Amino acid sequence: MKRNSNAFLKEEYNELVKNSFDWKLRILETGSTPHAVVDGKEVMMLCSNNYLNLSNHPRLIQSAIDAAKKFGAGSGSVRAIAGTMALHMEVEKRLARFKGTESSLIYQTGFAANAGLIPQLAGKGDIIISDELNHGSIIDGVRLTKADRAIFKHKDIGDLEKVLQDADKKYNRILVITDGVFSMDGDIAPMDGIVKLTNEYGAMSYVDDAHGEGVIGPDGRGIGAHFGIEGKIDVEMGTFSKAYGVVGGLIAGSQDLVNFAYNKSRTWLLSGSHPPAVAGAQLAAIDVLETEPEHVKNLWDNTKYFKKELNNMGFDTGESDTPITPVIVGESSKAKELSDKLYEEGIFALPIVFPMVARDKARIRTIMNAGLTREDLDFALEKFEKLGKKLVII
Amino acid sequence: MVSKIGFIVNPIAGMGGKVGLKGTDGVLGEAIKRGAKPIAPLKAEETLKEFLSKYTSNDEIKWFTCSGNMGSNELRKAGVKNLEIVYKLIGETTDPKDTKSACKKLMEKKVELILFCGGDGTARDIFSVVKKKIPILGIPSGVKMHSGVFGVNTSASAKMLYEFINHRLTIGDAELMDLDEEKYRKGEWNIKLFGIAKGIVEPTYVQVGKSYYESVSDDEIKDELAEHITDEVKQNPGFLYLFGSGGTIEYIARKMNIDNTLLGIDAVFDGKIVGRDLNEEGILKLLSKYSKVKVILSPIGAQGFILGRGNLQLSPRVIKKIGIDNIIVVSTPSKLASTPIIRVDTGDKKLDQCFMEKEFMMVVIGYRLSRVVKIQTNNF
Repeated sequence: MKRNSNAFLKEEYNELVKNSFDWKLRILETGSTPHAVVDGKEVMMLCSNNYLNLSNHPRLIQSAIDAAKKFGAGSGSVRAIAGTMALHMEVEKRLARFKGTESSLIYQTGFAANAGLIPQLAGKGDIIISDELNHGSIIDGVRLTKADRAIFKHKDIGDLEKVLQDADKKYNRILVITDGVFSMDGDIAPMDGIVKLTNEYGAMSYVDDAHGEGVIGPDGRGIGAHFGIEGKIDVEMGTFSKAYGVVGGLIAGSQDLVNFAYNKSRTWLLSGSHPPAVAGAQLAAIDVLETEPEHVKNLWDNTKYFKKELNNMGFDTGESDTPITPVIVGESSKAKELSDKLYEEGIFALPIVFPMVARDKARIRTIMNAGLTREDLDFALEKFEKLGKKLVII
Repeated sequence: MVSKIGFIVNPIAGMGGKVGLKGTDGVLGEAIKRGAKPIAPLKAEETLKEFLSKYTSNDEIKWFTCSGNMGSNELRKAGVKNLEIVYKLIGETTDPKDTKSACKKLMEKKVELILFCGGDGTARDIFSVVKKKIPILGIPSGVKMHSGVFGVNTSASAKMLYEFINHRLTIGDAELMDLDEEKYRKGEWNIKLFGIAKGIVEPTYVQVGKSYYESVSDDEIKDELAEHITDEVKQNPGFLYLFGSGGTIEYIARKMNIDNTLLGIDAVFDGKIVGRDLNEEGILKLLSKYSKVKVILSPIGAQGFILGRGNLQLSPRVIKKIGIDNIIVVSTPSKLASTPIIRVDTGDKKLDQCFMEKEFMMVVIGYRLSRVVKIQTNNF
């Protein structure tokens, strides 16, 4: 019998639907604003990564418009051939200055940075050592290499050192990779300790700071600045799509790193460069971070207030050190129920359930936003308290 | 859907322990004379009560069990109503034959799991009948519980039962250990690997989407381990490889088209078996012939032993000759989830000391993927 070449598409999709593993896309009818219309309902946004609300900042919007008017809608090519504009170079120069590194390089997305660069940094005879809770894009980047892999216990420097001791004898290059801010719990990697160890063992350090860029460190300069070790992490990788409010991946480090990266990363070499409007908005995002410290301050003021009040009500908010505040409720079904009820009450926050987190640690993951007012937070807190009592969480 | 669970209590399990008999096999009369009291019925009841009160309502499960203290008494005392007696005990005392006959009846009823209360001996009796056809879960109540089918305590067994019924735990290999009780009473420590049963284990999860994880079966993980070892062997021509015992290594060997003995030590050179089910002498003979040797081991049983339980052929002399840096340890992540430590008890203090100084070992848990695991050498 001739095979049915497309049958698996429907079968596998149906299987996902059956197990409720399919993504039900929620449609925004507004921008990603602190109060947005999601699936026809106005809700307060507590699950966007637009931490600083920069995606709606007039300077970013204007800069995008100006760049589009001046340089057009598209870039015409990949960066390597004819798609590198003076504007792209300007963003990279400004970004390196902002991050306190020698140089920087912008990728199409954060995923493209990890998937493109990691496989070039280690190969056969090398080892990549990774925190056990690292994000999926790192895992994929690691899978593309011929290097061996080892994992160390979450944030455990002692465990990392043991792996390094063992690897030291056996491998040529050693690459240690960690998330900067872990996206499920909002905790921060002990980057100072990691860099100390990698220096000691002649290993390379690589941090995925997607949730730290624009959020932690003075003026939101990221994890290097947070620990006072700017320029000392071999690869600081991040994104423009979260707190910076635009889109695009980035790496910051030495000029040697950047020269190597853009000549070797296939994702960078083989996809079109950012349209001028994107580069224009990226440039303005850096401008805003450098000149308007109030956004980062608001984000943290909001975060501290929200966490404190949730704790006062009796909610368990886990071990977070950042504006990612988990509200731990226990069983998965309860987390889903709380999320549904919050949406009915006008709050958009998604549940995170097993196996992403332990079975009895299912939660609502809230992400704070600098654009929310104290009244907004009180409104949200009132709903959390009401529903928390109703569902016997507090 | 109603779950069908088989339930067996070995009422005399554990009686020898408190009166210093290191086991009850064959010495029940002596144990009673020394004043031993039944323990297993109480442990069974405790587990059932915890399971029922914390986790579920009665009607989700149909229990199949034996009469009297071999199951029905404990179930009733715990408040279970939906039960069927499939094996009637004749007389007052029980012996292994009763356990085995009851298992045959449970197999006819096609139960999904056999929950039992006892020790290593009870586990072996059950396994001798059900083999790998039905997974088994033990409530620890014996004197010795080295096998990998027990919860660490009654609470853990209750929780595992609940998670299994709710499809959150999956089925995987569990080694059954066999300690020669007669020798043990004389002070000799001789634990053999008796067989590989089906137990219930924590599944391994792999992130496939941003917030979507897929559980990976034990066999898929073992496929990865097999691929890893295949590469390892290919990259090291000229090495003799000793394959240890247990379910994981047997699976790996089978994938490599090596006909491995499940319970013994085999030697492989250049893809071919050069020694099968070797004893210490046989291994030493090979070691004098081959200068470059590596040994592949996997934790065996409930406590995570890689040496000293179930593979005494790998004696101190053998290990010293091979060198501890030439030991490759493989394990499924589910096994490390239940025993996050590897134990060594070679019987040679100096050699144990070498492991202790090493402190940790890299354990292969996937294709080209490893993690640090602590080594413990003290006897317990």
